[in-house]
This record gives sequence, structure tokens and C-alpha cells, in this order.
Amino acid sequence: MSFADGVRTGRGGAAGAFLAHRTGVAGAVALAVAALVAVLAPLFIPADALDVTRVTAQAWQPPGAGHWLGTDHTGRSVALLMAQGTGTSLFVGLTAAVLSVGIGTFAGVVSGHFGGLLAGALLRVTDFFLVLPALVLAIALSTVLPRGLGTIILAIGLTSWPSTARMVRAQTLTIEARPFVERARALGGGHAHVIGRHVLPSVVPLVLVNATLSVASAIVAESTLAFLGLGDPTRISWGAMLHQAQLHGAVPQRAWWFLLPPGLAIVVVVLAFTLVGRALEAVVTPKR
Amino acid sequence: MLELNNLTVHYGHKRVVHDVSLSLAPGQTLGLAGESGSGKSTVAMSVLRLLPRSARVEGEVLLDGEDVAAMSWGRLRAVRWASASIVFQGAMHSLNPVHRVGEQIAEPMRLHGTPGRVTELLEQVELPRDKARAYPHELSGGQKQRVMIAMALACGPRLVVADEPTTALDVVVQEQVLALMTRLVAEQDLGLLMISHDLSVLARTCEDIAVMQGGELVERGRTREVIANPRHPHTAALTAAFPVIGDPAHRWSDPAPAPEPLLRVRDLVVDYGRTRAVDGVDLTIGRGEIVALVGQSGSGKTTLARTIMGLRAPSSGRVIFDGVEVGRGSRAIKAFRRQVQLVLQDPSSALNPRHTVFDAVAEGLRVHGVPGDHEALVTAAVERAELRPASLYLDALPHELSGGQQQRVVIAGALVLQPRLLLADEPVASLDASVRGEIVALLLRLRAELGLASLLITHDLGLAWQIADRVAVMHQGKIVEQGPVGQVLLTPSHDYTRALLRAVPQV
Repeated sequence: MSFADGVRTGRGGAAGAFLAHRTGVAGAVALAVAALVAVLAPLFIPADALDVTRVTAQAWQPPGAGHWLGTDHTGRSVALLMAQGTGTSLFVGLTAAVLSVGIGTFAGVVSGHFGGLLAGALLRVTDFFLVLPALVLAIALSTVLPRGLGTIILAIGLTSWPSTARMVRAQTLTIEARPFVERARALGGGHAHVIGRHVLPSVVPLVLVNATLSVASAIVAESTLAFLGLGDPTRISWGAMLHQAQLHGAVPQRAWWFLLPPGLAIVVVVLAFTLVGRALEAVVTPKR
Repeated sequence: MLELNNLTVHYGHKRVVHDVSLSLAPGQTLGLAGESGSGKSTVAMSVLRLLPRSARVEGEVLLDGEDVAAMSWGRLRAVRWASASIVFQGAMHSLNPVHRVGEQIAEPMRLHGTPGRVTELLEQVELPRDKARAYPHELSGGQKQRVMIAMALACGPRLVVADEPTTALDVVVQEQVLALMTRLVAEQDLGLLMISHDLSVLARTCEDIAVMQGGELVERGRTREVIANPRHPHTAALTAAFPVIGDPAHRWSDPAPAPEPLLRVRDLVVDYGRTRAVDGVDLTIGRGEIVALVGQSGSGKTTLARTIMGLRAPSSGRVIFDGVEVGRGSRAIKAFRRQVQLVLQDPSSALNPRHTVFDAVAEGLRVHGVPGDHEALVTAAVERAELRPASLYLDALPHELSGGQQQRVVIAGALVLQPRLLLADEPVASLDASVRGEIVALLLRLRAELGLASLLITHDLGLAWQIADRVAVMHQGKIVEQGPVGQVLLTPSHDYTRALLRAVPQV
């Protein structure tokens, strides 16, 4: 049957189509390595190695045989700090992105589907958050709320959802205008049916793409906040490492090994998420 | 003037046009008929070498004796529009919305350095001079098509290729545009190559006709002879698909005696802001009766159907189904919608592209929480809609099906709830001629087997003649005339009905 062949190429093709994007695959590989490091680091790094009071090595050691990436101002190994920080950066990036995309999707679908006063009010709120300088708001939030990872995640999540909401709303409106939604209504389908069976399945691919891209910006935002000293002081993250390096004078010490690795790691992970997001976008967007 | 010799076009490995030879002399009019996918548009585009790069063209296209394929790029640009021009299919999409139409008509003249005045061209296509300053959105569909024709004539070409020039227009406007084209062709001694799926449109305008099927030319001859005595079975199928109003052979059902009323609409009024779309409509549909609601686009017939379904709130008036007034509460409307089902015009957009046939048909069962074996119910409905065996289709996605099969899926989705009334909004308008007949027959069979009543919304009076028991004519929100088919279509009493009937092109 001709259409049976069509089914196979139509559904099995998504993975293949993604693999055809070389940059996307490169990004996915980089992310897999980062995730592996994040999971394994806490298991293999002895607590002593990262405790300021118990380290034995000298401070500001350049990279060498004992310490691949040198040591920081307290004598801790930069390589181990990097590995330990991966988890924090990825965790904050992912959860903040999920939070932001979740709020954005909810606001977008609700304002797109229901219309009327509710949509108007939601849109005004979206616009309000859209024009707020996100960084300033995040800084304000993290100064007001108790310090900790939760605050950082909340600050990033609450400031970055409006663009998702706008996009999801636009997609919702497009879908709602299609005759098959009218058919569903004529069949007797209510709001839950139309949203659950027609709107969400069409919005989800776009949302996934958007989520990958917002992880990247959430990681940058986390690093920024941590660099400004607003992070959780008890946890090691790449942004916090940069903050420490700045605070303890890595620049006058010419300790490039303390500054470059966290900076490069942020660039690589953010780039990897962006590449994966772009590749997914190309796969998901229908060409018709 | 135009000569195609053994033209063959491939897209990749797919052959879309095979060995087509045609010729056209100045002043001659040739209609190219065929269904979607028959290759007729590809032939038209090859005349000006407008095919995409991926197309592989063999054979010759001679324009005034010169091979189009061998022309240099500069020569081709000079020839395009100056010796042959095209009236494209969708006037609304082919005009640039941000430029005044006068500038757009002048564009080819400027490019080719042709002398001439936009106002003269507008007069030729019977548009007032001041429309040159209008933007496309300020014009009606028919006026936009006239602008497209003025554009095609701007550089005084000797050949005009018209690709489905009237497809999106309703009968009355279509008749005006066709009359205009006929007059211009005669006055300016143009060659006209007109492409359409609608034989009656071609019969109205062209002396000669060529019929294509699956990329091949299957029949060619004088229009009158081809239509009167089709030699190829495909031509015969195309001619048979366009019913002749008044011909008893094209009546597929006998009008039933007035049955007991099933749905009554009383004094229904619907306003859109300040415009009154439906203005005090009274309409009755009996049990098992097929009523055709006819009228031009904008007459309010679709709004009426949406309001009956409860998809729009009426400003005033009542809908009574089976003796009980349909309430406004969501529960009452939901119960009503189990009894009444909507079949939309374009089946390809009426089905969610991500849902399989099974999901699409079962949607109604899920919405209403119908107990029982959904698989068996869906299979039965799909087979009722004549997709047999159902197992072949249940897992298919809409884009894997043809237009006719998609419409059957939509109908199956309605049937699965065992409704008593179908509201069908232009159910065959977007289908090819040969499929159209099958869907029409299906509607009739469902009536015979299930006693299913239908309200058929259409601008196509031929369809009304084919299957309806009664006809209601709608004009500017009001029903101006209704009665048995024979009475309304053969001895119309209202002027508007007469105008509609006059506009129907006859094969």
C-alpha cells in the first residue's frame, strides 16, 4: 500500500532528520558529555578535595602534573571545581527553563484559547514582564528572597516566560482558526477537549524547541547572577567560580586557568543547547 | 503562434506531463481541462519557462516559432508578458497588498518600456478609473480578478494563459469575468489558453478543448463536439459530473412527499457588529429530507448553518429540533450536537493532520463518552462512508489520502454518532469532478438507508438540482424563495433566483 510506506517515512523520519543536522548532533554529544560529568562528579570527587580547610595544595598553582587546570586562591583543584559546578549550572538551567516554559505555555494557551477579558488581562501582564529589564528584576528578586538555588531558579523563571507566552499564543490562535477545531466543537467538544486533543499537541513541538533555547539563556542568567555574587554561596557553579576569581584577584595574579575554564564551559554548553534547539526547530517545523 | 511538440516534464522520477502536443493560432481559444494532478498547470507554466528548477523538460515549446527552452535569459524576459502573459489562479494572493493596484498594473509596462495608460486598461476591464488608487484589500474578488486581467493585457501580448481564473469566485461574478474575457479575446484578437477543472467554464469561453488525464492528452477537438460526444471515458466522466439543470437524467432522486418536520428555524437573526448577516430566516427541514440552501458568497448561508449548530449565538430567534427548542446552555447544545453533525467544505483542513483516521472518526465518540466498543463503531462508520475495507484506512494520516477519501473520513466522523441531520457546507466544492459524483451518491444512499436528513449549503445550483428535495434561495441574509426543486429552479418567482440561474454556465 502506498500510504503504508508514507506512514513509515512520516513517523520514523524525525530521528533520521535530526541526525542529518551535523551541528545538532555535535551539540547533543557535547550535552551528553556535560550530563555525564554532572552525574558522575559528586560520586567520584572526595569531599576533602573541595573543602577549603582540608586541601593541601598551594594556592594559585598553574596547570601542571598534579592539577590539570591549576588551583584556585585556596588551593582547590580548578578541574574538580569545574566538574562539580557542571551539575549546578545544568540543574539551574533546566529547572528555570522548565518553569519559564511552563508559565509561558499556560499563559499562551489560555489567552489564545479563551479570548475576551481574561486574555486581555493576561496579555497586559505578559507585556508588563516583557518590558521589565529581566536582569534588574532577577537581581531585585534575589536580594529580597532568601539566598539559595530556589531563589535563582524562581528569579530566572519568572523573568523569562513572556516570549514563550507570545509564541504559544500565536500558535494557539493559528490552530484555533483551523476548520478541524471547528469540527471538534461541532462534534460537541468542550474547552478541555479542544485544548487537550488539538491545541496542545500542535504547540508542544514548538514549546520543546523553545525550551532548549531557554535552557541556554537560563544558564547564562544563572552565571550572571552568580558572578554578581547573588548566587547560593554554599554551592559551586561556573558563575560562582567566576565570581570567586574576580573577588580574589585572579586577574592581577595572572591566573588565567581560574577564569578561562568556567567561561569556556558556559560558552560550550550554551552553544550546544542552541545548536540542538535549532536542529530540533528545523525537524519540527513542517515544510509544507 | 504557440506550439507544443511532444512536451514531457519530469519532477525527479515522477513524470507529470507526457508527450503533449498542442498548437494555438492567434484569435483562437483553447481550453485545457483536467483534474488536480493531471499536469494541466505544468503545461501552462512551461509556456513561459516558469517551472521550478527541479523540473526536467523534454520536447519543444515554440512561441511564435522560437524555442522557449533555447532562449537566452534576456530574450526570455523580453518575451515574458510582452508576447505572452498569465492570469494567475488566486487573484488575492497574486497581488501585492502594500501597493496600489494602478502601480501594479503599470509595473510590467515600466519594465518593458511599453507606452500606454493604466486608465485605458482599467476601462477595458470595466473598472472605474479611480480604482487605480485602491489597494487590493479594498477590492472585491471579482474586481481583483479584473485587475489581474488588466495586468495581463498591459504589454499588449498576443497570447494570454489563464490558470483557473474564476475558481475562487461565485457564479454571478464568475459569469461577469468570463464574459469580459470572451469580449477582450474577440476584440483584441488574442490567443487564449484557459485552464480549468470545470468543463462548463471552458465551454462558455473556448472554441476548442483539450482534456488531460495523468499527464497525457486524452482528447482534443471542438468544444461542442467533445462535450456532446465524448470519445474518451474520462471526458465522459467529466461531462457527466456537471449536471444540467432541468434535465431529468441528472436528477438523482425523486422528491419525497412533505415529511414531518425535524428541524425548524424560526425568525432567526444574527448580527456581526452592525451588519445583519442573517435577517429573520424561517426554514424547515423534514425527516429524511435534503434541503439545499443556495446563494452567493456573503449571502449569510454559512453563518446560518453555524448558528443552527450553536457555534454562534443568534441575536434573536429560535431553533426547534424534533419538537423541542434547543437551549443555550452547554449541556443542551452538546446533546443537540449528537443529533446534528457538520460536514465542512475543505476536508483537508477539517481533519487534524496529526490524527489518524481512527482518531478523527472516534473523536465524537470520545467527546460524548459513548460506551461500547469504539473500534467496532468506527469500523462500521468508516465502511458506511464506503472506505472498504476499513482496516486499510484506520491507521492512515489525512495527507496520505486523496481529497475524496478525506471527505469520506469527515462523513464517517459524523455518522459514527448516528445523527439525524447533516449540515453540509459545500461538501463537494473542493473535490475533483469524478469524486464529486461519488460523494453526492453517498449522501443520497445515507438518506435512503438511514433516513438521514441534510441541509446542503452550496453556491452550486447544479448540485441542488441533482439531489435536493427542496431549495431555499438566500440573498443578503434573507430567504427570498423556497419550495420544491422543480418549482424553484425551473419556474423561479424571485428576480434574484433568475439572476443566479442565468449565471450558471451551461455545458
